[in-house]
Amino acid sequence: MKLSLNWLSEYVDLTLDPDSLSSLLTMAGVEVEGVTRSGADFPHVVVAQILSSDPHPDADRLSVCRVDDGGGAPRQIVCGAKNYKVGDKIPLALPGAVLPGDFKIKKGKLRGVESEGMMCSAKELQLAADADGLLILPADSRVGAPMAELFPSDTVFDIEVTPNRPDLLSHIGVAREISALTGHRLVLPEPGPDSDSDSGRMPVTISDSDRCPLYSARLIRGVRVAPSPAWLVHRLESAGLRPINNIVDVTNFVLLETGQPLHAFDASTLHGGIEIRRAAAGEVFPALDGKSYPLNTDDLVIADANRPVALAGVMGGEQTGVTDATTEVLLESAQFLPSTVRRTSRRLGLISDSSYRFERGVDRQGVLRASQRAVSLILELAGGTAEPGISISGGSIPAPVHVNLRGDRCRSLLGAPIDDDEISRILIAFGLSRIGGDNTASTWSVPSHRLDLTREIDLIEEVARVHGLDRIPRTRRAFTAPESAMDRVFDFSMAVRRRLQGAGFHEARTLTLLSESMLADDCFGDDNILRVKNPLGEDSAALRPSLVPGLVKSAAFNVRQGTTDIRIFELGRVFHSGVPEESTKLALLLHGAVLPEMWREKSPRPSDFYDLKGVLSQVVPALHCRPSENSRLPLCAEVLSGETPVGWIGQVWPARARELDLNGALLVTEIDMTALYAVCVRPPSFSAWPKFPSTRRDIAMVVSGTVTHRQIVDILRGAREPLLSSIEVFDVFTDPTGEKVPMEMKSVGYALTYRAADRTLTSEEVTTAHAALKDRLQTRLGAQLRE
Amino acid sequence: MEADLNRIQSEALAETHAAGDLRALESVRVKYLGRSGDIPRLSEGMKSLSKEERPRFGRLLNEVRTAVTAALDVRAAALESERDAASLAGLDPTLPGNHAFRGTLHPLTQLQDRAIQILRHMGFVLADGPDIETEWHCFDALNTPPDHPARNEGDTFYLPDGRLLRSQTSTVQIRTMCAQRPPLRIIAPGACYRRDEVDATHLSQFNQIEGLYVDENVSLADLKSAVEMFVRGIFGEDAEIRLRPHFFPFTEPSYEVDVRAAALGGKWLEMAGCGMVDPAVFERVNEVRGDDAYDPERVTGFAFGFGLDRLAMCMSALPDIRLLIENDLRFLAQFPR
Repeated sequence: MKLSLNWLSEYVDLTLDPDSLSSLLTMAGVEVEGVTRSGADFPHVVVAQILSSDPHPDADRLSVCRVDDGGGAPRQIVCGAKNYKVGDKIPLALPGAVLPGDFKIKKGKLRGVESEGMMCSAKELQLAADADGLLILPADSRVGAPMAELFPSDTVFDIEVTPNRPDLLSHIGVAREISALTGHRLVLPEPGPDSDSDSGRMPVTISDSDRCPLYSARLIRGVRVAPSPAWLVHRLESAGLRPINNIVDVTNFVLLETGQPLHAFDASTLHGGIEIRRAAAGEVFPALDGKSYPLNTDDLVIADANRPVALAGVMGGEQTGVTDATTEVLLESAQFLPSTVRRTSRRLGLISDSSYRFERGVDRQGVLRASQRAVSLILELAGGTAEPGISISGGSIPAPVHVNLRGDRCRSLLGAPIDDDEISRILIAFGLSRIGGDNTASTWSVPSHRLDLTREIDLIEEVARVHGLDRIPRTRRAFTAPESAMDRVFDFSMAVRRRLQGAGFHEARTLTLLSESMLADDCFGDDNILRVKNPLGEDSAALRPSLVPGLVKSAAFNVRQGTTDIRIFELGRVFHSGVPEESTKLALLLHGAVLPEMWREKSPRPSDFYDLKGVLSQVVPALHCRPSENSRLPLCAEVLSGETPVGWIGQVWPARARELDLNGALLVTEIDMTALYAVCVRPPSFSAWPKFPSTRRDIAMVVSGTVTHRQIVDILRGAREPLLSSIEVFDVFTDPTGEKVPMEMKSVGYALTYRAADRTLTSEEVTTAHAALKDRLQTRLGAQLRE
Repeated sequence: MEADLNRIQSEALAETHAAGDLRALESVRVKYLGRSGDIPRLSEGMKSLSKEERPRFGRLLNEVRTAVTAALDVRAAALESERDAASLAGLDPTLPGNHAFRGTLHPLTQLQDRAIQILRHMGFVLADGPDIETEWHCFDALNTPPDHPARNEGDTFYLPDGRLLRSQTSTVQIRTMCAQRPPLRIIAPGACYRRDEVDATHLSQFNQIEGLYVDENVSLADLKSAVEMFVRGIFGEDAEIRLRPHFFPFTEPSYEVDVRAAALGGKWLEMAGCGMVDPAVFERVNEVRGDDAYDPERVTGFAFGFGLDRLAMCMSALPDIRLLIENDLRFLAQFPR
């Protein structure tokens, strides 16, 4: 909300400078988000009238004017602007004036012609960011008047009012707060003479008293609609409102002054009485913004005998508003249920200064006061006579709210020794009055505008706000807490991250919401995907079922930025319908050279499947892969730790990689963190190292190209040879030309280690065992052994 | 034979000196000391000497063997050290070391880890909750009125079944209180979602860390001290805090935390929200628990929450928040810790 300090100073003494006031309000919870200074308060700049204008004898683009500055003798001014005519009134800076930018005005000669001052543009007076020529002033401006009279200087605060404090949405409201915080006296304007209550001639019926607890209407006849006087225009403009006419401007002025929204109808356009009712289904409301809004039965309208004439608390109607021809005004001042106004305003996307206040709540006691204030201003500015009576419907005044407060509770919650006297002083300053109780517990009556004070804690908050946090002492409370399960999971996930960092991977973070088409492109679309029903766009409707599509997108992004070698991982949540709905995954993506290029290794080979598997083995204990079918990936394997499945690893379709401009293999893996954690937390147990030496024997053989490493290992292990302690593959060779190894076959080499726990093996023992294993491979695989 | 002995010694010593490398030296050793070398051969020849001559010749032979062996050893040591020197001479210590890919942790992870370490020192333990939440956990339990704007579909992402993507990690406060009795001292890092259009300063997904402490006699003074301790841990001992009264539905009194520190350029910056747990929140939790474990007359508490993304933006002077989700390796590589 915009808050003019000039305006504010009508109600409370502002001895503070704007900076101090800003920090006072901010530290009391009314944040000043912006400060603008306006006006043209420059000494020696006055209104002047141009009496004549002649061409400059020596310069085509200059003119020589004679102007009247009200000082008697006309002045001669040389001027470069062209946008004026003789008789116009303009701002004139006299010698001695200092304009923004420390621009001192002096008598001088311009191209040999004397100039006794300068006629100014709006920009030169900082009244506008830009200007084209002189600022032409209203014809009724008084010649010789200081500019500050036309453009009084002002400071405008832009304040953020929290939703619990609707009472601060007006100048009087903020003035009241400042008065409470500083102790300066609050001076309120006379609201004008009381009307005879509920004796107006306009019949008012409330059909939904829950949604409209109070409605008042006052008739004023014989008004003359005209532009508002300068003081009112300045007030409205300082608060960011555009002046319209004296009637509408008064309603807006009172809204900004008191916080109570008002509406003025042209009474001659109304038929019959006023009814406050729910809209009928399908009813359409032509609003004064020129648009028509379809209503439903949840909306509250103000209607005459024929049609809705206002959308309650939100906006007036197009055909019943005040125009230049209006002579009879019906002034509405009411209270509507905040939730009703909020729902209608949100649904129709119509947010007005009125709806903003009604949906936060207005002061019931202020409804009629605001009406009286507006009536007296309308009579003053537009003439006419007010009906002596006002039509009121609803309006039984609720009993004041009483709240109990215990001093000890206040002290213990704030942790500060605030004495009872200070507590009382603070509450009294905010307009509360103590109506009973003793020293341990007192009862307070809350003023009607403080809708936020209903519980003890609300009063304690007021005490804390004024007492100030600076005066609250520090404490050091020691505390111990047992480590939680999540602590252990967090530490584990950090250890995994650190290991991958050590393996040269960058941690990425991708968004949870992504596009379904992207999922489909990466073959992750399926029936179990969860979606939000109100996404910001189609590209962010699905909750990611996997971290991989996000990483693929990031890889493609990096390639477009010119990065060629991409090693990234992410640890985060994924979602799909079922149990569990959310799970934490670890995904890695590898693409590009296996090492950075350098002087010793000029063209490192591109990474492949085995490289990613190798990295994975640094975080997955006892890793092995079981080939699996997956429509998603042409090469895919299940990842196991021991016998526990923990995820999958694979290579993305080369065609997809090419589509993303990725040149070479794109390898991805995704591991379930819960499964991984389970296999990693088992405490390691000690096993003694062997006392006796081992013997290594190799096997070299040619087998069918389809035989897997795992099959060979399983055959060897299946022999249950007690002396065989380990099997290592040391060579895999295929020859696409078929010269060295027939096509469809491969040559493999294995190192077998033999060992006994209790003795050194003899050569004969090893030879016997080794021969048996070779036989087994020959029989089972048809392996051709190469000696 | 004695003449032979003298000749062999002088030849062996000369050849030892002449040997230009270890291989040549080894041939010299084999020639004179090897199994069929000159010196063993002379030793063999001793059999032909008389009993009287043998001891003297034996002594002489030993002297020669010792002298030749010693000379060979000395020469070998010299040649080895020459070879070692030559092998190092070619190294240029100013050439770049072997390149390896250097990984990094995401700046948000680094910051989150740092925050968690500090808060753990202060006695907080980690707690967790789902991203997909019920409206009750995200709003009702947190004392948010039924028609509060934050509940709008314009502000919060909803699933077709009426659940939502949590708009704040405060949901974990509720989940933990529903499951555990006080005292409680938890922190909950996690992702939150709001329907903000994405621009240089907004993402529709961001990261918060939430803290909650509930016990007997927890006061605003404790809150202030805890926030200050945490802020100094993150931003340095020179950091100052300013608690500015604010409004949140689930705390009262509520504050926004402004921080001023050299690490942040010396200006007041809004960094967090905090407050004393509103008694209404305890009452909602009790209703669900079916007991009065969180009787607001007996326990009080404080809660705070801060946004990691904003913290990262301020601490690293990021010009655009989207840098945090683009995963540009040129960006990530700038956070090598």
